[in-house]
Amino acid sequence: MRPLSLKPLLALVVGVAAVAVFTGLPAILPPFYIRVLQVFFFSAGLALSWGLLGGFAGYWSFGHTAFIGIGGFTAALVSSHLLGGGGTGWGMVVTVGAGGLVAALFALVLAYPLLRLRGIYFAIAMLGVGEVFSELSSSIDWIGGGLGLTLPAGTDLDIAPEVFYYYVFLVLMVAILLISAATKLSRFGYGLMSIREDEDTARMLGVPTERYKIQAFVLSAFLVGTLGAVYAYSLGYFSTPSLFRVDFSLNMIVHNMIGGIGTIAGPVIGAAIMVFLTNVVLGSFLSVHLLLTGALVVLIVLLAPTGLLGLAARLWQRDPPEEEPTSPTRERERRLTNEPAE
Amino acid sequence: MVALQTLIDGLILGGVFSLAAVGFSLIFGVLGIVNLTHGIFVVAGAYIALLLWSGLGLDPLVGIPVIMVVLFATGYVYQRTIIQWATERATVVASLLVTFGVALVMRNILQLIFSSDIRSISPSYSFVSFSLGDLRIDAVRVAGLTTSLVLLTVLTLFLSRTSFGRMIRATAQQPLAAGLSGINVPHVYGLTFALGAAFAGASGAVIGIVAPFSPATEAIWTLNAFVVVVLGGVGSPAGALLGGLLLGVINTMTAQYIGPSFTNATMFLVLVLMLLVRPQGLMGNAFGESR
Repeated sequence: MRPLSLKPLLALVVGVAAVAVFTGLPAILPPFYIRVLQVFFFSAGLALSWGLLGGFAGYWSFGHTAFIGIGGFTAALVSSHLLGGGGTGWGMVVTVGAGGLVAALFALVLAYPLLRLRGIYFAIAMLGVGEVFSELSSSIDWIGGGLGLTLPAGTDLDIAPEVFYYYVFLVLMVAILLISAATKLSRFGYGLMSIREDEDTARMLGVPTERYKIQAFVLSAFLVGTLGAVYAYSLGYFSTPSLFRVDFSLNMIVHNMIGGIGTIAGPVIGAAIMVFLTNVVLGSFLSVHLLLTGALVVLIVLLAPTGLLGLAARLWQRDPPEEEPTSPTRERERRLTNEPAE
Repeated sequence: MVALQTLIDGLILGGVFSLAAVGFSLIFGVLGIVNLTHGIFVVAGAYIALLLWSGLGLDPLVGIPVIMVVLFATGYVYQRTIIQWATERATVVASLLVTFGVALVMRNILQLIFSSDIRSISPSYSFVSFSLGDLRIDAVRVAGLTTSLVLLTVLTLFLSRTSFGRMIRATAQQPLAAGLSGINVPHVYGLTFALGAAFAGASGAVIGIVAPFSPATEAIWTLNAFVVVVLGGVGSPAGALLGGLLLGVINTMTAQYIGPSFTNATMFLVLVLMLLVRPQGLMGNAFGESR
């Protein structure tokens, strides 16, 4: 993203100020808004993690909720089988870390076959992966997603649970934000973006596309798995439908699209807007929730296909929006339909 | 014996899957769009059939022409507006998101109109079944299968024999060349989409009598259609038929021998394996020669 690289100082100042404000907020906010912000941190973290693969490399996963589920279920199984129901304090670090690692492990295994698929086919295959893991977690008795699992409280400190998870999610979101920014500015990040623009050319020019894609996928899964494990903790009791939620997968994409795909600030902005809209503004219109979310998605694709950041850039005409991939249309169509090159 | 019964049940179910997927396949093959609103068309067809049946006492299978006309018109307008705007302004992947958004809106609207209750249509022959030796076959399923096969045959003949079918095939192969030869490509896109929607609606009427439905089942029909297309191949009724039959057999065999809660897991396992081994599907792309 050009604004960030051109104005790193501004980004730093805004970032530090935001973190300072968010650190102090729980002291004055009522519990409801603490929870809303907690959901915002969680969603922004998810959207940023999704963006590592979907935004930078252009591999849109429609089933990333699989890793939320794997993370959460791993944490609960480690807690009940290995820690004898423990998992508080440092124990939580162990279980959550295990959640992230197992998610990354699954991603590593899935990466080899799945990342050969491109465009729509990858998207749908991931949708399938999400579905398969969801069904397996509820049908296999040993995992117990049908009946539900419990996790102990995350901390034994004298602190309200919503405030505790508020800070945990805040720390995770900031960490993921930094990881994303570091990725974006690194050789690895440029490699991923070259894959998004034209994978075959990138490969021909010596970008190790296969390795980069796998690394991005595994990193993304690790971060989502970690977030999923903490989310499971914040629920306390959960079953398959509370973690394997299609709307999680969808939200990751929508937040990226609203803010601006392939940017650092975009997913955060997108998550902020959508979480505020759905939790606060539309909180009382539950029966038409789907309708409004869907309509918003349609409007955004039609009116601001490059996201709000792209729209803002176009309106202000200061930084022209990032150009669309310059490859000819036919080339792009071929990639999207996963057909072999002529 | 159980194996044979399961196989026959699977094939009958597969015939319905084929009809439900052929519209998706056509749209994917000609327009290159993964239409995630597809399941909505199917479920809408089922609800129209329900209205015709409860309001006018019209048998769902007799009501199919009405349903097809309604969905043809809806599909044409939908493609010429929202989908065309989305593909012009953004990428093809964005059209995936637009159709998803519309599907959410429509599912919510269906829920508001018809409630989230699970419905089904039971005409007089619902509980009739006949037996061949030890095999038992339900009359509704045979009626559904026959309807599916007839409609698929009609579509095949339409695509291969009529001049309009030739226009669709030409547009699918080379939109630019088709345009240069005097074909109104956006119009053909709209009509093809409308045709796909009409067949989805027709399958909804068949599904209404063989299986329960609710607004939320639309997601299943979209996914089923995708799996059928990946299995059979894009764009041709024959591919949809082959993919649908396979999916039906996989479904019933899994339910019988592994467990009913594993049908979707097996389905997606097959889907992913198929994408890896033969991404163009068993029958290949019907419009593949020049793509």
